[in-house]
Amino acid sequence: MTVAKIDGLGALMAVAALALVPWLIGSDYITGLLTVALCYGIWAASWDFMSGLTGRENFGHSLFIGAGAYTAGFLNVRFGLNPWWGLPSAAIVAILLSIIIGFPTLRLRGPYFALAMLSGAAVMQNLTIIFSEYTGGQDGLNGIFPVIESRLRYYYLTLFFLAVTVVTLKLIANSPWGIILRAIRGDESSCQASGINVTFYKIASLMISAAFAGLGGALYANYQLQVGPDLFTVVLSINIIIMVYVGGMGSIYGPVGGAILLTLLTEALRGLSEHRLWVYTLILMFIIYFLPQGLFAPLWRQLRKLLL
Amino acid sequence: MLQILIYGAVSSAIYAMLAVGFTLIFGVARILNLAHGAFYALGAYAVYTLTANFHLPLSLSAVFAVLLVALFGVVVERVLVRPLRRSTLAVLIITLAMALMIEQVLLLIFGSEARNVPSMIDATFHFSGVDVSGQRLLALSSAITILVGLWLFMQHTRLGAAILATSQDAEAAQYMGIPSDRIYSIVMGLSSGMAAAAGVLIAPFQTVIPSMGLLPLTKAFAIVIVGGLGSIRGSIAGALLLGYTETIIAFQVSIEWSQIVSVAAVLLTLILRPAGFFGKRAVF
Repeated sequence: MTVAKIDGLGALMAVAALALVPWLIGSDYITGLLTVALCYGIWAASWDFMSGLTGRENFGHSLFIGAGAYTAGFLNVRFGLNPWWGLPSAAIVAILLSIIIGFPTLRLRGPYFALAMLSGAAVMQNLTIIFSEYTGGQDGLNGIFPVIESRLRYYYLTLFFLAVTVVTLKLIANSPWGIILRAIRGDESSCQASGINVTFYKIASLMISAAFAGLGGALYANYQLQVGPDLFTVVLSINIIIMVYVGGMGSIYGPVGGAILLTLLTEALRGLSEHRLWVYTLILMFIIYFLPQGLFAPLWRQLRKLLL
Repeated sequence: MLQILIYGAVSSAIYAMLAVGFTLIFGVARILNLAHGAFYALGAYAVYTLTANFHLPLSLSAVFAVLLVALFGVVVERVLVRPLRRSTLAVLIITLAMALMIEQVLLLIFGSEARNVPSMIDATFHFSGVDVSGQRLLALSSAITILVGLWLFMQHTRLGAAILATSQDAEAAQYMGIPSDRIYSIVMGLSSGMAAAAGVLIAPFQTVIPSMGLLPLTKAFAIVIVGGLGSIRGSIAGALLLGYTETIIAFQVSIEWSQIVSVAAVLLTLILRPAGFFGKRAVF
């Protein structure tokens, strides 16, 4: 079998497994948990597309997630629009935001880009609190009308969007476009010297990344039926980065595995009550220390080697 | 007005100490240490434990606290950071995990309620109608002494020269026979020791809680960016600038807007002049 066939088969099996879980474990609680995990999967994959490929670590991904979620919330709660409109509008607003923030910040390198994005998200978080008469302040916007009443169907909708996200991003990453993005990570000045419009590719990749993050934000808002300023926090961005890291950076599908694994791990450790967080941190430190390439993507590559 | 001036000076001095330590380890070893705020909390808790549980005199336990945290910082650098140093992201995440770990362990041992550390000086001083506690003045003068001491150490000793050389060009420094790995450890010790000293000095008039390191870390971050990552001079200027701007805005506009000052300043600095006031342009 060719690599592409094995990858396709693996993706189909993963989607099938995720689709079967609610059937096997018929608990609303697990379905809800997995819906959140899938949202994280969309965020992690979209983070990885921009940052994993071009090597610009974005520490403010929550900026696009929060913008998307608030857009969906605004349109529904304040203007009474059909909640379906929230999904495309969230992506569009996130794209616009990525253009505004991308132009001044993407010329920065290394920690500077990370910090600029981080403070961008922090500014937005503060602004939602300052303009609380419109945004609801700390409480956020409540009472969003659900897109689909049934939780089970909503889970499948999220799974559908996750699959669309991963397939789209993976296809772009494997196309000549993706190769240029990887080349930018390797050496930006050589790319420029070879006549590649580096700025265009960086902005475009940030726009694509933001669009899916915004979409994921809207999906999350429609699941929680509420949005709050916590969607802009640095903690969310950092959680996503950790998920990508655990999944395996630059692979797009790995981060989705990382997102699901870490969401389930957090839940599994809930029984430890006050010891939960340090055990979680310790596990993370072990993974970062001993598996610098991550867990999921290298595992899959090994498996693929066996099948070839 | 005079009160703002004095209180602003005290918090600026503490911020400056944190920011200088933070920028030092970045400037020399290129390590963005997100556990810096946790070291500050650790310093405060160390002085609390040494006085309350081991009944050591306050001045002695202050010195021990700083030394212990400095040693801990060196261990963290050696064991956790050094093997991952090639990847900036890995260093960021491992130090962040360390910070979470320290916070959780402190929470487990001491609980979430605030602890009190006794003042080193009980007297209160009067300056034309303004009461200032002796501890704040002690914090201010100690911070200034430590910063001046650091400057003298960097400019006038062989070790200081070696540190400066490493920060300018680690590879060239190594060719000159400077053991850069050992320099990194020493600087990490200095940096975490300064964070701990800030925690020790501020402990008597601040609430000592496990999460106390978070806010100062973000402030130190902002200061360092505005002043220029890696520049000690810039950090001190940035600390004064941000410390006073925040106090004035909190006083004139509102507390909410003062919260946004530092992040907005960071964003503006990065967009307009990414190197900061005193940073080297070559860093990019």
